[in-house]
Amino acid sequence: MQQLLNGIFIGSIYALFAIGFTLVFGILDRLNLAHPAVFAASAFVGIELVERGGLSLWAALPLVFVFGGVLGLVIERLAFRPLKNRPDAHFAGLISSIALAGMLIALLQWRYGPDTRRFPPGSFPDTRYDVAGAQVTLVQVVILAISLALMVGLTYMVTRTRLGRGMRAVAENPTAARVLGVNVDRITAATFAISSALGAVAGVLFAINVNTAQLGMGSAIELKGLAVIIVGGMGSLPGALIGGLLLGLAEVFAVQYVGSSWRDVIAFGLLFVILLLRPQGLLGARKVREV
Amino acid sequence: MSDPILTVDDLAVSYGRVEAVRGVSFRAEQGSLVTLVGANGAGKSSVINAVSGMLRPSGGRIRFEGQDVTRTPAHKLVARGLVQVPEGRQILATLTIDENLWMGAWGRGSGAQRSIDAMYDRFPVLAERRALPAGALSGGEQQMLAIARALVAEPTVMLMDEPSMGLAPKIVDEVFRVIGEIRASGTTVVLVEQNARRALRAADHGYVLQSGEVVHSGPAAELLADERIVQAYLGVESTPDRP
Repeated sequence: MQQLLNGIFIGSIYALFAIGFTLVFGILDRLNLAHPAVFAASAFVGIELVERGGLSLWAALPLVFVFGGVLGLVIERLAFRPLKNRPDAHFAGLISSIALAGMLIALLQWRYGPDTRRFPPGSFPDTRYDVAGAQVTLVQVVILAISLALMVGLTYMVTRTRLGRGMRAVAENPTAARVLGVNVDRITAATFAISSALGAVAGVLFAINVNTAQLGMGSAIELKGLAVIIVGGMGSLPGALIGGLLLGLAEVFAVQYVGSSWRDVIAFGLLFVILLLRPQGLLGARKVREV
Repeated sequence: MSDPILTVDDLAVSYGRVEAVRGVSFRAEQGSLVTLVGANGAGKSSVINAVSGMLRPSGGRIRFEGQDVTRTPAHKLVARGLVQVPEGRQILATLTIDENLWMGAWGRGSGAQRSIDAMYDRFPVLAERRALPAGALSGGEQQMLAIARALVAEPTVMLMDEPSMGLAPKIVDEVFRVIGEIRASGTTVVLVEQNARRALRAADHGYVLQSGEVVHSGPAAELLADERIVQAYLGVESTPDRP
């Protein structure tokens, strides 16, 4: 039971990270490899806000959300928009976003040094609950609640609002969207902002969960995020949710029952098996990209 | 007479080194139906796409409602009432019919719901299936949806690119009936068609394009009555004895 809950907590963070990742891919057909750097940068910024700004954990979260959104706009402007009319725009964006990610991490290192950083002591309420014999902290419950709320909110936004309708129109056919009067550049920027805002919150929640922020945390989750969105079905939001939870559970159970050095072997092995059985991913459409 | 609502002067469009449109000029009076006809590759679609802001012209000038809109992006023109029904319909197949109509209302504030309801009254086939993905519609129904979607934007000038393409003759009749209604309601229509005879019969004024240039123009009835033009550019009336 304890392991199940731990898996769900970490899995919900993976899912939140991966949903931001897959949103840009599903709507814009671009892979934003600066997303993991947003994840890492936001963890450091979150700690800084609590440590120096004197904010509570929960007051820092909305600020980090905004920080992520702004960072998303910067990434779109610098790494993607200048290249959008190139015939190889997919590949070019991939490379330029890796470059931007490298720069972001270098800036973090300059600002914070290479050491692991933690929240100041006393940042976490030590309320604990007993759930069917397992220990759950208030912090964990809030992490799960925030992840789920953001994912539900995103799904609502995409399926029910004007902006979401515009995003799906751009996803299916940017030319048609343009003919209908949609400013595709603006939708593109909004998609990056939302995606990065989610990735930023995921970064802080991750840092809260383990009370650690490290320069390498972005690259550690990058591969997991990619695996999750491939297994979930590229561009599928519910697929990323299920994939994230699966990965979290697989990791926790692998550590518990096999050994910690087997964690990645088992977790990624499981994802391979899923892809062998369902090459398009759990919820991937074969032809039409869904959002 | 008042100024034309749409004036195109010496328009040029190039794709790399290929000049698709070379100095095309035409005008559309308020409330009229103007057609650009010509063979495949004559540059008709390029003209339409340049006017609607989807393509950047390499030369010339476009005036809409008295203002220069040569470099105005498409999304601003739609909001101002210059709306295109694109070639190939460009229906958003994964969105529902209702969502497609709402996309037509993208640049509009309040009042969109009323326009959409009016479209459902006008095209009952869309109303019945409003919650279905638009990809479920037949070709003819998709064309009606494309037209309805453009009408939701409340155009003052509607640019229609090959609305009869790929449709059965009966559906083509239906499409032309709707075009007649749109024009009768006071909306100016610029119609691009390969089906030249049909388009000229519906139009007030016609322009015949060849290799990116206007080779003839005049009142549609006169173009249709001119044997040489009909022979040279419009082909033979009934297709069966054509090779």
